Amino acid sequence: MTDFPNTGQPRQSLLNLDDRTKKRNAAEARFKAYGIAAIVTAMLALAILLSSVVANGSSAFRQTFITIDVPLDADKLDKSGVRDLDVMKKVTTIGYAKLLREGLLNAITDAGIDTSLSDKEIATLISKEAPATVRNSVLANPSLVGETLTFDLLASGRIDGYYKGRVTLESAALDGNTSPEALMLADALKAEGLITTRFNWNFLTAPDASDQRPEAAGLGVAILGSLYMMLVVLFLALPIGVAASIYLEEFAPKNRWTDVIEVNISNLAAVPSIVYGILGLAIFINFMHFNQSSPLVGGLVLTLMTLPTIIISTRAALKSVPPSIRDAALGVGASKMQSVFHHVLPLAAPGILTGTIIGLAQALGETAPLLLIGMVAFVREYPAAYTENAGLFGEAATALPVQVYNWTQRADPGFVERASGAIITLLVFLLIMNAVAIFLRRKFERRW
Amino acid sequence: MEDMYHMDRAMMTQQDTKISAKGVQVYYGDTHAIKDVDVEIADKTVTAFIGPSGCGKSTFLRCINRMNDTIDVARVSGDIRIDGEDIYDPRVDPVQLRAKVGMVFQKPNPFPKSIYDNVAYGPKIHGLARNKADLDEIVEKALRRGAIWDEVKDRLDAPGTGLSGGQQQRLCIARAVATEPEVLLMDEPCSALDPIATAQVEELIDDLRQRYSVVIVTHSMQQAARVSQKTAFFHLGNLVEFGDTDKIFTNPEDPRTESYISGRIG
Ligand SMILES: Nc1ncnc2c1ncn2[C@@H]1O[C@H](COP(=O)(O)OP(=O)(O)O)[C@@H](O)[C@H]1O
Ligand SMILES: [Mg+2]
Repeated sequence: MTDFPNTGQPRQSLLNLDDRTKKRNAAEARFKAYGIAAIVTAMLALAILLSSVVANGSSAFRQTFITIDVPLDADKLDKSGVRDLDVMKKVTTIGYAKLLREGLLNAITDAGIDTSLSDKEIATLISKEAPATVRNSVLANPSLVGETLTFDLLASGRIDGYYKGRVTLESAALDGNTSPEALMLADALKAEGLITTRFNWNFLTAPDASDQRPEAAGLGVAILGSLYMMLVVLFLALPIGVAASIYLEEFAPKNRWTDVIEVNISNLAAVPSIVYGILGLAIFINFMHFNQSSPLVGGLVLTLMTLPTIIISTRAALKSVPPSIRDAALGVGASKMQSVFHHVLPLAAPGILTGTIIGLAQALGETAPLLLIGMVAFVREYPAAYTENAGLFGEAATALPVQVYNWTQRADPGFVERASGAIITLLVFLLIMNAVAIFLRRKFERRW
Repeated sequence: MEDMYHMDRAMMTQQDTKISAKGVQVYYGDTHAIKDVDVEIADKTVTAFIGPSGCGKSTFLRCINRMNDTIDVARVSGDIRIDGEDIYDPRVDPVQLRAKVGMVFQKPNPFPKSIYDNVAYGPKIHGLARNKADLDEIVEKALRRGAIWDEVKDRLDAPGTGLSGGQQQRLCIARAVATEPEVLLMDEPCSALDPIATAQVEELIDDLRQRYSVVIVTHSMQQAARVSQKTAFFHLGNLVEFGDTDKIFTNPEDPRTESYISGRIG
């Protein structure tokens, strides 16, 4: 006999799990396993993506240079003899290419290197971009003429690819642009210290280059274009978005109209970005006649695209401010506007900032609408922020994601590395922006 | 004539009416929350509103400083006068009214700013201080009236949200009195506080009676009995009974008041 009322069931010991508990624990364990599997898959995909981009693209930040003395013969570069720029400009890059070849041949002879290559073939070691670089520095400083100067010249894409593993002796044998002998000559020059591979700032600062010169292509114009667009977006989308959110959240009456507006803002956030591109093309270019390919138009289109994001996150930030703070302010006789600007907005600021930066990051990576408004053009000139003719941000530019798209379209294998390098640059910018968002939130977050 | 005039004056000073409400109705959309309430609230007195929860005590309290204006669905009709002036007159700005009718809320809600800034905010936006020294003086006076000066005088720059619950509530009272109001509305000011903090706030309320007309909503009948001179009992939106606190608690007229006080409805 036990002391317990007899219910017909034996008393269950706590040391043994009953069936229901076992089942429940098993279900919980299964759910955890699914979760972990999902996360592992996602992390793996991300790791593969990142490592492939980094593996392909990190070499874009290094570049092979040939260091030679170039004789800047006065009789070849300046027929006038008095450093008259107009006369000097008549000498094209072909004239300079001859001098570079002469310099390279001298260097090879001086180093005592034997090669079976013709002079013309030897000249293919040097990038087609190099004569232009030298010409520009001579025209910028005519007093250089007559001297023999040491230049760091870009090596051609094939030589550069050879030192990055893209080109091998076998592939060179099948390649019309280079030959195994040329690579062997490069190796000999490298042994002499005349060819070096080192960090390449030009990748971040130089403008784009044509199809035959991947070694000279840089992101300068794209970064500048993206920067201008971000400025336009920041200065338009932030004030408009915040003002709209404050009005909708704090002042607007809650009626059918505000409901309609609210639903439409949510819908706008889901509109495919290319639609904004079409809108921008129709309104800003065809109707308002802003310059095609200009960061101004790109910025306006991205502003339209970013506004819903900013409005939605700002409204969420305003909503999360406890109503008791508004009561407190109104209770001491603050007006509605004072309560919003003195108390609610400062508390919502971290959320607003985070939303804005995330919106900007989204805009920075956006490609489709920019293709439609012509920002995919080949631009060699740095766009000025302001000019008399084009106005503010009105000169043609490209943008980072568009540059990636553009380079992946090119035939020369050298551009694969460039495209991946551009992706790395874009990702670094996005990381920085997100880090700033997190930092600002941590710093300004207040507890109440 | 002369005599009657004098008699009127004498009666006025004896029973100086600060707030008078007539036929007040409040609707929240279709909900009829306050039904035809008439009440006269005296100056320099603590008036307690008691009643079961949801009976409309807070709603009526918020009519007195027009905080109901901030609720979209709320509609108020009837006549509420402070010192004989209709506060729902179109010429009255609710913002100005609220400086004159301070409010303390159920949950202590200091601004997430320093103790000093909490108290100084009201006087600043109403332009009550001409300079920093003036403002310092106002802040000190308000904190003294809020019976919290001694506890915070060495850390006026510390955040108001870092104080204990009872201190926060007294800070909120100090903030409310800093704008020199004439009426103080308190909506269950002690419901989030422990017994010791409650006792301190109750003592403070008793002090405040000397300067202000205090209206306090409370769900604790002991508290109403302890701090108030007048008590109003609300039930389902009606003002059932209003009179001297002693009378309501010892000898109520309405059977509903009696059952509430004896704990049969709640
Ligand atoms: N903001 C509001 N919107 C709609 N109904 C409300 C609102 N505030 C209060 N009510 C309703 O009004 C009635 C009275 O509420 P309240 O004044 O808060 O009561 P008490 O303070 O006495 O507990 C309740 O039925 C409540 O549901
Ligand atoms: Mg209430």
